Amino acid sequence: MLELRNVCKRFPAVTAVDNVSFAARPGEVTGYLGPNGSGKSTTLKMITGLIGMTSGEILFDGTHIHRDLLNYKRRFGYVPEEPHLYAHLTGLEYLVMVGQLRGLPCQRTAERIDGLLQLLGLHGSRHSPLSAYSKGMRQKVLLSAALLHNPDLILLDEPFSGLDVASALVIRNLLKEMVKRGKVVLLSSHELETVERVCTRVVILHRAKVVADDSIERLRTLMALPTLEEIFSQLAVEQDPVSTSREIVDLILA
Amino acid sequence: MFKTQFRVLYRQFLFRIVDLELLSTQGETSKLLGQFASLLVFLGVIFSFAVWGLTGDDMPAQARLIASWGMEHFLIATTMLIVGLFAVLSWDSLLPDQRDVLVLAPLPVRASTMFLAKVAAIATGLAITVAVFNLLPGFPAPLAFAAPNSGLIGLPRSFAAYWITIFAAGAFILCCVLGLQGLAAQVLPRRQFLRVSSFLQIAAFCLFVSVYFLQPSLASPEALSAAHNQQWLACLPSYWFLGLFQQLNGSMHPALAPLAIRAWKGLAIAGSGTALVYSLSYFRVLGRIAEEPDIVPGLHRLRWLPRLGGELETAIGQFSIRTLLRSRKHRLILAFYLGIGLAFTILFVGLLVNLQQRGVASANNLWRHPNAGLLVSSVVMMFFGVLGARVGFAMPLDLTANWIFRVTPVGGVTECLQANRRALLVLSVVPIWTAWAVILLWLWPRWPAVGHLAVLAILGIVAAEVTLAGFRKIPFTCSYLPGKSNLHLTFWFCALAFGLLVDQGAVLELRALQHPASYAMMIAILLVAAGLARKRTAVLTKSEALEFEDQPPPAVMVLGLHQG
Repeated sequence: MLELRNVCKRFPAVTAVDNVSFAARPGEVTGYLGPNGSGKSTTLKMITGLIGMTSGEILFDGTHIHRDLLNYKRRFGYVPEEPHLYAHLTGLEYLVMVGQLRGLPCQRTAERIDGLLQLLGLHGSRHSPLSAYSKGMRQKVLLSAALLHNPDLILLDEPFSGLDVASALVIRNLLKEMVKRGKVVLLSSHELETVERVCTRVVILHRAKVVADDSIERLRTLMALPTLEEIFSQLAVEQDPVSTSREIVDLILA
Repeated sequence: MFKTQFRVLYRQFLFRIVDLELLSTQGETSKLLGQFASLLVFLGVIFSFAVWGLTGDDMPAQARLIASWGMEHFLIATTMLIVGLFAVLSWDSLLPDQRDVLVLAPLPVRASTMFLAKVAAIATGLAITVAVFNLLPGFPAPLAFAAPNSGLIGLPRSFAAYWITIFAAGAFILCCVLGLQGLAAQVLPRRQFLRVSSFLQIAAFCLFVSVYFLQPSLASPEALSAAHNQQWLACLPSYWFLGLFQQLNGSMHPALAPLAIRAWKGLAIAGSGTALVYSLSYFRVLGRIAEEPDIVPGLHRLRWLPRLGGELETAIGQFSIRTLLRSRKHRLILAFYLGIGLAFTILFVGLLVNLQQRGVASANNLWRHPNAGLLVSSVVMMFFGVLGARVGFAMPLDLTANWIFRVTPVGGVTECLQANRRALLVLSVVPIWTAWAVILLWLWPRWPAVGHLAVLAILGIVAAEVTLAGFRKIPFTCSYLPGKSNLHLTFWFCALAFGLLVDQGAVLELRALQHPASYAMMIAILLVAAGLARKRTAVLTKSEALEFEDQPPPAVMVLGLHQG
């Protein structure tokens, strides 16, 4: 189980994450939602150890992640928000390098990479440089790199960005399959419809603080709202979308 | 509208001439540019002292003439080299790139506005480079080079002649580079152009460095008039501009008259040719760039690479090899250092040929037996090869992608040091050693060749260890913070010390190769040095965490006297 306890991250001018606590359990996909700039990506970067916390604790299976960071890194896979990859490497070379960095056995990694590339439709372009890949193809490479070592914890920051419909459906079902096999999945996304279909539980962040942490079903009942979109709008959206859009049109036409 | 667009684009293009993406978050653009400028000013200070030495009246007329011509030519040639390097370093920003097109094409900006802004930015870059280098020598130079008995008008005329010549020489070189690039872009399909362009860049770079170091000294009336030198003079533009300066200065010597004519012709051809080819290719590239990817697929035969030990060593080693081979910026850094090494090698080989021509030694004795020239060349080449690869390691590639090294269980600095060591050996020591093995085993008898190759291998390992000391990074993944290396002082000091060391070392090695006991002693000393260097590197590099952000040196230096 992944557990965050009173996690804070303060930058000189702004508090990006303020006293955030929640848990992501095995067997369920936990959705992590919030408007732009609410602190979602910062939280995920702290969970991966990319940036430090100002205060608080992050535990995985009861152990503080910084106690043995190296071992913890062996156990998670991460898809970042932006598909930043070494563009001069080919898709195959990149995945082989990630396998080597993770210390995976050579033969088994090669088979796994081959299989992943086949299943995600990248096998034909495996020898092309990543600079020639589309955004969706890069996203698939990132996903393959995150799953290559059979991680216990999967951290996904906007994984559906740039994917075509068929690929998005595959990933959606893949996440369900992974949690069925006992993996912990934390999914950050703006696609509320997808989150509603995939996640059993959501954590909603607003202005760096957690404003909801419950199952989608329970939130629906408690707030007497039929969809996650409406729940999200009520908890985390300050602007009235109708009046804002009208103001924009007025501004342009003025 | 046009003026605003031009102003905005001009500023953008001017600041993008230097690649800023490699900078650390704590690095400042002004500091990086300041470092380049201070290096040029430092060179200018040294040259201005030399020019001041020519302003006195205590020299015979003929000696003074030769010294003045030598100094004038030296300043012109150095300016041309600096402008050539500036053009090579800003190679990628001379033509529009995909980013320009994708950002600017949907906006109501005319292609001609973009073109004019680009040309203005390049011209400004040229002017700043030339002016910064000549800032200090540019004041005593007119005083030293003014035509004799030219009266009151002589000094301002000399001043104007100097600056016109210097800018004309710089413009000539820049036009040649722009014209070459424009011609390639015009003739070749874009995909082919991208592939050929990187080789052209390195070829231009090697040409500038080797011509500068290897061109013969012909700045005297006798040498300029000699029939056997006319072929050289026809293909050395720095001498053409010496003629131009003398013409503008009013101190024209008959030997320089044809060179001045050649300078004018060269300027006219390079200027008009470049204006035509560059403008045509600019608009052609602009039209086609959006349709094709900027990076061409890798060559099929280069896919396989050997394993370099464990998984981590192999991952970092193969990543380093691929980056150095495929990144144009890094190839250029390596080529810069290899070019200097090669220039020294050609210089030493030239000395041997000179000895042979003067009949000091027979061809057989000279080439078929160990000699200091080849010993020093091989060591210098090894040193610059290692240095080039190591400097390349410190320059990042695509910093935003380094997260993968931060989230994978790469381990600490100790694990990475071994990987870096192997990568550096594979990329620099092994290829240079192999090349010299082929040359020496072909030229020399077996024993001295094998003996020197053993020495060269150990020296390569020592050089790799010394350069890796304190390198707590994965190659190409850490940002670069300019201003730490104090390059303008450190480089010259190290070059001087290294030159003396190699010169004395070659004499010792030549003796040792004839006495097995001395040779064994030499190898033992070198092995101990390699062991000590390795230990020192391990101690200096010891740290818990890898660095991905270059840090400034601490404001307060800790002596660490409390440690046991």
